[in-house]
Amino acid sequence: MSTAVLVLRQRLRQVPISVVIVSIIFLVIVLLAILAPWVAPTDPAKQNLLARLKPPGFELRGVTYWLGTDDLGRDLLSRTIYGGGVSLSVAVLSVVVSTLVGVTLGMVAGWFRGKIEIVIMRLVDIMMSIPAILLAVLTVAVLGPGFLKLVLVLGLTRWPRYTRVAYAQTLQIANLPFIKASELAGAGAARILFHHILPNIAGPVLIVATAEFGLMILMEAGLSFLGLGIQPPASSWGSIMSVGRQYLERAWWIVAFPGVCLFLLVFSVNVLGDWLRDQIDPRSRSR
Amino acid sequence: MSETKNVLEIRDVAVHFGGRGGLLGQSGPVVKAVNGVDLDIPRGATVALVGESGCGKSTLSNTIVGLQAPASGSVRISGEEVVGADKRKLNDIRRKVQMIFQDPALSLDPRSTVGATIAEPLIVRGIAKGKELKARVATLLQQVGLRPEHADRYPHQFSGGQRQRVVIARALALEPDLVICDEPVSALDVSVRAQILNLLVALQKRTGVSYLFVSHDLGVVRHICDRVVVMYLGRFVEMADRDTFFSNPKHPYTKALMSAVPEADPVVQRSKERLILGGELPSPANIPAGCAFHTRCPLATEICSKERPELTPRPDGARVACHHA
Repeated sequence: MSTAVLVLRQRLRQVPISVVIVSIIFLVIVLLAILAPWVAPTDPAKQNLLARLKPPGFELRGVTYWLGTDDLGRDLLSRTIYGGGVSLSVAVLSVVVSTLVGVTLGMVAGWFRGKIEIVIMRLVDIMMSIPAILLAVLTVAVLGPGFLKLVLVLGLTRWPRYTRVAYAQTLQIANLPFIKASELAGAGAARILFHHILPNIAGPVLIVATAEFGLMILMEAGLSFLGLGIQPPASSWGSIMSVGRQYLERAWWIVAFPGVCLFLLVFSVNVLGDWLRDQIDPRSRSR
Repeated sequence: MSETKNVLEIRDVAVHFGGRGGLLGQSGPVVKAVNGVDLDIPRGATVALVGESGCGKSTLSNTIVGLQAPASGSVRISGEEVVGADKRKLNDIRRKVQMIFQDPALSLDPRSTVGATIAEPLIVRGIAKGKELKARVATLLQQVGLRPEHADRYPHQFSGGQRQRVVIARALALEPDLVICDEPVSALDVSVRAQILNLLVALQKRTGVSYLFVSHDLGVVRHICDRVVVMYLGRFVEMADRDTFFSNPKHPYTKALMSAVPEADPVVQRSKERLILGGELPSPANIPAGCAFHTRCPLATEICSKERPELTPRPDGARVACHHA
């Protein structure tokens, strides 16, 4: 155990400064989202029509609106903090769903080949040829809006990209001698897929996942904007920005603050993903 | 048939690719990669399989280990039939045949430690676990000249020669009867080739394993093998014991291969008669009629393009498939 701790400490010392910074940003956003009920200055849904569209720093009856207010006089700081939790959990959960579905299908298609490969890959082609947002709109329109449904819809419409990547990588790796050696050792399909292929395709999959993560937040925003996502009075960064778009000339802050948060979150996830990909590759580790 | 003399007995094995209809019903040409071959490997012997790229060497090795189903014929390993065996039986038989690959960089999983790689055959077959497993892995590492503490390292931390040692350790983990060595040293530096070859010889002496040594390097073949088989376009053209083979090659194709081996002595090299083949290896999808070699053969006459020569025994024990040699 103590050697493990030592190794960990040594590894942590080698973490580049950019990764430390984005980790801090990421952690702050996550913590704020989790602790929203305690850190938000006011109720995010509380309206004050006397304080509509007020700029950051506006004060009214002893209450300071640090990030200003929106079109219904709600405190933007509180809404941004609460909204972060919604955006984050929708994005994380839908990325998890689509990764699980997509990678499994891709590995199965690439490993077993034959009829199952044709079925899966043609399904991928069909899914990719339908605009994702249209598919999501249709599904939500049928199933109705709601947090869990939103996660499922996003997750189940976005898996083809993972499938393509996992499939191509699996095809490539399945022909390498070390997989042949595993077969000769007597390993079954499950062991080969999860012990040998999955660890070797994890890097590219992780890159797709981090790119998709940002896209998920934006898709959620789009659907919420169309009224098919998060239902008011709950808010996400996407829904706040959709509303703010109408007031862009008069009240830039409504779009700006959630937008900056969104940028920071997506950026830090991408940097973290890159770093993590290098970490899971033993070749890039120092000995 | 319990204790047979031969670890491998191949009878009339043919392996074909393609020819089935594709998605849209088109049918490609049938590639006859291996076209009816017989081969025996006695226990504890080393047989070399030589030939140029595309002649079917790798396809034949894949068929022997059961990764490729033959179109026809019989493959017996230690007396047990591989062709048509059910999955469980096949798995049992496979235990007796293992393989060493050409490129050690590609034959080890970069994400698994060397210890995990060597332990895999023992784990999946439920042979050992826990402390016993660790001990077996340590023994195997020592057998191939590595240290037990190397088990925790990853393949990229080893040199090419060391990686090939790991591959050998994995192949020996199940104590196989036959190990197929697919160009085991051609990806290695010349300086470490001899070490690996000597290791293979030493392990054979200790364990009595047989080798099928697939190679195109006749120098290496001469060093390690008891018997040599020459393959051309899916068929054997010459089979002979090592000394007979090297002192008196008969088939014109074998002679051409021999004359391409560089000699260390420049005087010998200069005086050597070079037999240079014209043309390319014909496509295995379109094998010439008669003797497959007649398109490139210096001795070819009319009969060669009409009648396929069979492998026939010669006085010195060699078997050659040629009308003129």
